[in-house]
Amino acid sequence: MELVYSQRREREEASSLPDRDLAIRARGGDMVSFETLVTRKTPAVVSLARRIVGNGEDARDVGQMVFLRVWSELHRYDERYSLNTWLYRIATNLSIDFLRSARSRERAHGATLHLVEEREQSTAADATRTAEDAELARLFEALSGSLSEKQKAVFVLKEMEDCDTSEIAEILGCGESTVRNHLFNARRILRREIGRLYPEFLRGRSL
Amino acid sequence: MTAICGILRGSFEDYLADALPTPQRRILREHLAACAECRGLAVEKDPTFVFARAVRDEVTPEEAAKILSAVKTGVALMETEKRIRSTRRRLAGATAAAAAVAALVLLLPGARPGGGNAAPPAGTEASLAKPLAPAPPSSDAALSAAALPADSAAPAGDATVYDWNPGAGREEPRVVWIVDRGLDI
Repeated sequence: MELVYSQRREREEASSLPDRDLAIRARGGDMVSFETLVTRKTPAVVSLARRIVGNGEDARDVGQMVFLRVWSELHRYDERYSLNTWLYRIATNLSIDFLRSARSRERAHGATLHLVEEREQSTAADATRTAEDAELARLFEALSGSLSEKQKAVFVLKEMEDCDTSEIAEILGCGESTVRNHLFNARRILRREIGRLYPEFLRGRSL
Repeated sequence: MTAICGILRGSFEDYLADALPTPQRRILREHLAACAECRGLAVEKDPTFVFARAVRDEVTPEEAAKILSAVKTGVALMETEKRIRSTRRRLAGATAAAAAVAALVLLLPGARPGGGNAAPPAGTEASLAKPLAPAPPSSDAALSAAALPADSAAPAGDATVYDWNPGAGREEPRVVWIVDRGLDI
């Protein structure tokens, strides 16, 4: 009974700590802090992974891989920098790796076709999202098959995660001009695909 | 339309060119999320404006619990593997140390294959342990503590070196082995 109480108190204490402190404690082997960090960051990581890999099931797999990588690489985390940037870097790289594998490419393609065909239908997984977010997410998933992995990652980080260009450059390990270049090309391709698949958006329809 | 709408509509181009400073960029995004008229104009200008907002997938508590559970299992596996690897490394180190001691013994003067070995000093561990060692095939074979110099017959720690030499002209090879009681296997 005392043990249960002590664990609960430990969890409550951990949940009030900032990300950086949790990471430092987890690095010292504190499992409660690590679990708190996983719970806190799961929505952001899964959301980012979903935008890049294209479907929820794969995104959850990537999410697990991300946190396992975080655990094994925590000794490399430099606490002078934002944990989010480091976490996004791992999540983006693993999502891109996942997307590049032949298996996931096939699955992403299948998922895209499925989404185009059934765009107007809500799936059970989408039930918890707001209608607008769900439609936007489906629209992006349907369109983003034409983007390269890097273009997709840059666009998602910039537009949907609202990251700064310098932060994206750090996440992807490239220059800011490269980020701008990917962003420019991603916009061009998305404009073309929207015009081809959903011309109503070009006539001023907004979500 | 408010005054701010007019100001922000003039910054669409800069937004698309990634030329807006972060605070202005955030103000524009927040405004587009709230103002349907400006959003419509922005999308008309460039349809990729539809994505200019945070789109967050909600992860259900069940999904989050599944992910956490899988991560905890994975971490436990990783830690177990790490412990096994560490134990293997320690064992490999101990084996290498034992092999090095054996090689050293063979290279020391008086321990050449086929050469005569010094008889173990009376009362040494080798002579006490003699009944446990393999019986020599003939009387001229010698079982003795390794032919180390008298002062090093007992190597560091609890290790004892045994040297069984059936004798020159015999088919059986000479065997040297070490019993190190200091090893924790």
